[in-house]
Amino acid sequence: MMSELLSRFRFFLAGRDRSEVDEELQFHLDQQINTNLQSGMSPAEAERQAAIAFGGLQRTREQCREQYPRYWLETLLQDIRYSIRGFRRNPAFSLAVVVTLMLGIGSTTAVVSVIDRILFRSLPYGDSSRLVSVGLTAPIEPQEFVLGGSYYEWQDNQKPFVSLTSETGVEPCDLTENSPARLNCAHAEANFLSTLGVVPILGRNFAANEDRPNGPKVALLTYALWHSRYRSDPTVVGKSISIDGQTREIVGVLPASFEMPRLQAADVLLPQALDVAAQRRADPGRPLWAFGRLKPGVTPEQARAELEPLFQYSLRLAPAPFRKEVHLQVRSLRDRQFHEVHQAAWILLGLVAAVLLIACANVTSLMMARGASREKELAVRSALGAGRMRLLRQALTESLALSLAGGASGCLFALLLLRFFIFVAPGGMPFLTKAQIDLRILAFALATTVICAIFFGLIAGLRSATPQVLASRTRTASHQALLRRSLVIVQIAMSMVLLAGAALLARSFLNLQQQRLGMTAQNVVAATISLGPTSYPTQNRQMAFYLQLERSLRFGPGITSVAVCDSLPPGGNHHDTLYANIHLDGQPGQAFGTGGNVYWRWVTPEYFQTLQIPIIQGQGFSDSQLESTDRFVVLSQSLADRVFPAQNPIGQPLRLARGAPPDNDPIYTVVGVAANVKNGGLAAGEEPEYYRLRRHQPQDWDRGATIILKTTLPPGPVESWIRSQVAMLDPTLPVEITTLSERVDKMADQPRFEALLVSFFACMGLALAMVGLYGVITFLVVQRTQEIGVRMALGATRIAIVRLVLASAVRLIAPGVLLGLALALALSRFLSSLLFNLGPHDPLAFVSVTGLLAVVAILASLIPGASAARVDPIVALRCE
Amino acid sequence: MPQPTDLLQGTLDLLILRTLALEPMHGWGIAQRIQQVSRNVFQIGQGSLYPALHRLEYRGWIQAEWRASDNNRKARYYSLTQTGRSQLEAEVESWDRLAGAVALVLAQAKEPA
Repeated sequence: MMSELLSRFRFFLAGRDRSEVDEELQFHLDQQINTNLQSGMSPAEAERQAAIAFGGLQRTREQCREQYPRYWLETLLQDIRYSIRGFRRNPAFSLAVVVTLMLGIGSTTAVVSVIDRILFRSLPYGDSSRLVSVGLTAPIEPQEFVLGGSYYEWQDNQKPFVSLTSETGVEPCDLTENSPARLNCAHAEANFLSTLGVVPILGRNFAANEDRPNGPKVALLTYALWHSRYRSDPTVVGKSISIDGQTREIVGVLPASFEMPRLQAADVLLPQALDVAAQRRADPGRPLWAFGRLKPGVTPEQARAELEPLFQYSLRLAPAPFRKEVHLQVRSLRDRQFHEVHQAAWILLGLVAAVLLIACANVTSLMMARGASREKELAVRSALGAGRMRLLRQALTESLALSLAGGASGCLFALLLLRFFIFVAPGGMPFLTKAQIDLRILAFALATTVICAIFFGLIAGLRSATPQVLASRTRTASHQALLRRSLVIVQIAMSMVLLAGAALLARSFLNLQQQRLGMTAQNVVAATISLGPTSYPTQNRQMAFYLQLERSLRFGPGITSVAVCDSLPPGGNHHDTLYANIHLDGQPGQAFGTGGNVYWRWVTPEYFQTLQIPIIQGQGFSDSQLESTDRFVVLSQSLADRVFPAQNPIGQPLRLARGAPPDNDPIYTVVGVAANVKNGGLAAGEEPEYYRLRRHQPQDWDRGATIILKTTLPPGPVESWIRSQVAMLDPTLPVEITTLSERVDKMADQPRFEALLVSFFACMGLALAMVGLYGVITFLVVQRTQEIGVRMALGATRIAIVRLVLASAVRLIAPGVLLGLALALALSRFLSSLLFNLGPHDPLAFVSVTGLLAVVAILASLIPGASAARVDPIVALRCE
Repeated sequence: MPQPTDLLQGTLDLLILRTLALEPMHGWGIAQRIQQVSRNVFQIGQGSLYPALHRLEYRGWIQAEWRASDNNRKARYYSLTQTGRSQLEAEVESWDRLAGAVALVLAQAKEPA
C-alpha cells in the first residue's frame, strides 16, 4: 500500500520523460525489424511490417502519457489557457456572464446571510433546540409572560423541564462612575445562564445567594461592554462597577455571541433578586418571562399538556373576567424570537431565488448563443481527434472559470449589499446587524457557483459536434432556439412576479404613510429623560426636577407650548388597563370578559395644544387643576362614547381601578373629551384611551418623563438648547431628543425597508430579464439578416421590418407576462400579512406592473428592431 | 491500427504480471512471450502493451530499469514488485474462480441437449 502511494507520488512529481518513452518504443521497433530481417525481408519491407505490427506510434506515445496524473494537470492547464484566450477574444460575452452571475450569486448570498440566523442557524445557546419560551398569553400581552404569583409554583412542580428560569426584562440604568453613561441592565434569575447553556468566558455565573434581595451585589458584563469600556482587560473579574449608585462586584464576562432570549439589547446582566416569598404571596405578582429547557425527548406540545394542571391553578388566581381570554403557550425559542419575521424571511428567500433563476437563465441563454456560433470550431476540434469527454471537460473548465469569477465577484457584491441592507434597515432588527459573510455563507456561495457552472458546462458541452456542420454554410439549431425562447418567457414571468410583489409592498407603504394620525407631528420636539434612583430617590425630588425643567424650557426662543407626559402616540410605552376596570359608582360593571384594552398616559394641560389634538367636549385640563387635590381625566372620543352612551360625560365622576382597595380606586372627574388619536402603532387602529392630569403632587410623578415642545425654530438649535437647559440642572443626565416626525417616520421603517428591498430585487430581475430578451431578439435578427435583406429587396419598408421583429418579440413577451401574471396572482397571498389596507390582488398594482413590464420589454426589443431596419439589402445578400 | 485487444478487460494486466513473474523482461520480450506461450491465440496489439506497462508501473505493481539487452543495446527491463507479486496471486485466484464458474455454467447448459 505504502509503496504504491510512494510510486504514485513520485510519478506525480516526475512523470516520465518523453524521450525515455520514445527510446523504449524505438527499441521495440528495432527488435521487430531485426527479427523481420532475419526472416529474410528486405530492409524497407522489414521496417514497414514492423510499423504495421506495432500500430500507431504517436497514439501509443499519447496513451503512455495519459497513464499519469500529470496528463490531467497538463490538459487542465491547456483548457484554462484555451478558455482565457476565448474570453479575451470575446470580452463582451465574458463580462456579461460574470456580471450576471455576480448579481445573481451576490444577492442570493447577501440574503442568505441575513436570513440564515432567522431560519436555519442554531441559536447561541447550548443545545438550543430544547429551549422553549413558557407562559400565559392575554389580550393585554399576546407574547407569553408569567406572573410572580404563580411562577414559583410552576418552577417547583413542573415536570417537562430540566430547569425553568426567568428574566424580568431590560431597563435603562446609569453607570455612575468617572465617565457616566446610560446602559441597559438585564435582570435574570440565578439559573438563567445554566438553563440557556451559556458559560461566561471569564469568571463565573451568579450564585444562588446573590439572587436574593439583600444578597451580595454582583454583575456580569456583556462582551461588548467588556471590550469597549474595559479594553478586554483579562483581570476585570473581581473589580467593582457602580450602577445606579450601587457598587457591584464584576463576577464574569459573557461570551460575544450571547444575546437575551427576547433579543433585547443589554450591556450588563444583574441578578433579578426578587423576594420569592413575597412574590408567592402576591397577586398577581411581578411579570416575568420564563424559559425552560425540555427534558430529552419531550416536545413543546407534550410540555404544554403536562403544564395544564399548573395552568389551571394559575387561572384560579386570576379574576373571573380574565379566565376566558388567558391561554397557556409553550413554543420553541426560535418561534418566540422570529415568529413575526419568519414569513418575511421566506418571502425574501423566494424573491432572491427568482433573481438567481433569472440570472441563470440569462447565462444559459448566453452560453447557448455562444455555443451556436462556435459549432464549426467544435466540429474542427472533434475532427482533429478530440474525444467527446475531452470536449465536455473543456466546456466544463470554461464555465467553471466563468462561474468562479462570477462567484468571487458575487461575494464582494454580497458584502456591499449587506452594508447597504444594514444602512437602510431600521433599528430593531438585531439579527440584521449580526449578519455576516462567514465560512458557512461562503460555502453556500461556492456550492451555488459550482452547481451553476456544471449546469452551464453541460449545456455548452453536450451539443454534439457533427462533421456535417463543416460542410453546411448556415445552420439553425431549432431545438436550442426553442429552449432559449422558453428561457426568456420564464425570465419575463419571474420578473413579473418580482415586480408585482414590489408594487404591492410599495402601495401598502404609501397607505401607511398617508395614515391620519389624529395629531400634528410637525414642529414638535420630544425630550425623554429617565432620572437615576440615587440622585432622585423620592417622587418629590423627581417632580421638583421636571417642574423646574418645564419652567426653564417654557421661555426658550421659539417655544410656543410645553407639556410633560410619559409617552407619545402613535406607538410606544403607554400604560394599559382593561375596559372592565373602568366603572361608575352604583352601576354594574362589564358583565362578561375584560372588554379589551384601554390605553392611558400622564399629561400636563398643554399636551393637547402641543400635539393639536382637538378637545371636542368640555374644556380639557386647566392650570388651576394642577394645584388641586381632586383628580381629573380626559377621555378619548371612542372611550367616552362607550362609557357614557348618549350622555354628556363632562363633569361625570369615574373610577378607573375596579377591584383595587377603595383608597387606590379614587374618583376622577371627566373634564373633557379629546378626538381619537392613532395610538396603537401606525398599522393598528385607534384604541380607546384616557389621559390623567399630572398635577403638582408627588404621587403623580416617577423617574421617567417625556417633555414635548412646539417650536417655530428648526429642531437643530432647539435640541442643543434643551440639552444646555438639562445640563444646567444636572450635567450628568442623559437626554434623548427626537422630533415627533422622526418618531413617526421610524415606525414606518420596517415596511419601508421591505418595500425597498423587494423593489431593489425586482429592478435587478427586470434588468436581467430585459438583457436576456434583448440578447435573444438580437440573435434572431442576426440569424435572419439574409431574410430581412431579401424582404427589403422585394420592397418591404423599414417600418414593416421593425414590425416583423417586434412581432417575434411579442410572441415571447405575451406568454411571459401572462404566465407571470398567473404566478403573481397565485403567490401574492403569501404577502398579505405584510400588506396594510391592501388586498393581495390589488388591481392597480397588477395593472401598472403589467403595463410597465410590457413597455420596458417592447423598448428592449426595439433596439435590435431598429438595427434590423438599418440592414442594407445589398450587404445582407452578399454576406453569405 | 489493430483493435486494442479482444481480451477481457484486465486480462492483459494479468498476462503481463504472469509473464514477468518468471524473470525481468523488456516490452518486446513480453509481447513475444505472450504470443508464443498462448500459441498465437492472443493477438496483442504491440502498441497497446506499453500504456498497460506504464499503468502497472504507476500503480507500483512492476518496476522498470534500464539494462543492457542480449544484443548489448540499452533496453527498459520490467520486473515484479512485492505488491505486484501479491496482486498476481489475487488476480490468478479470481480468474480461476471466474473460469471455473463459467465452465460450470457451460457444462450445465449442455446437459439437457
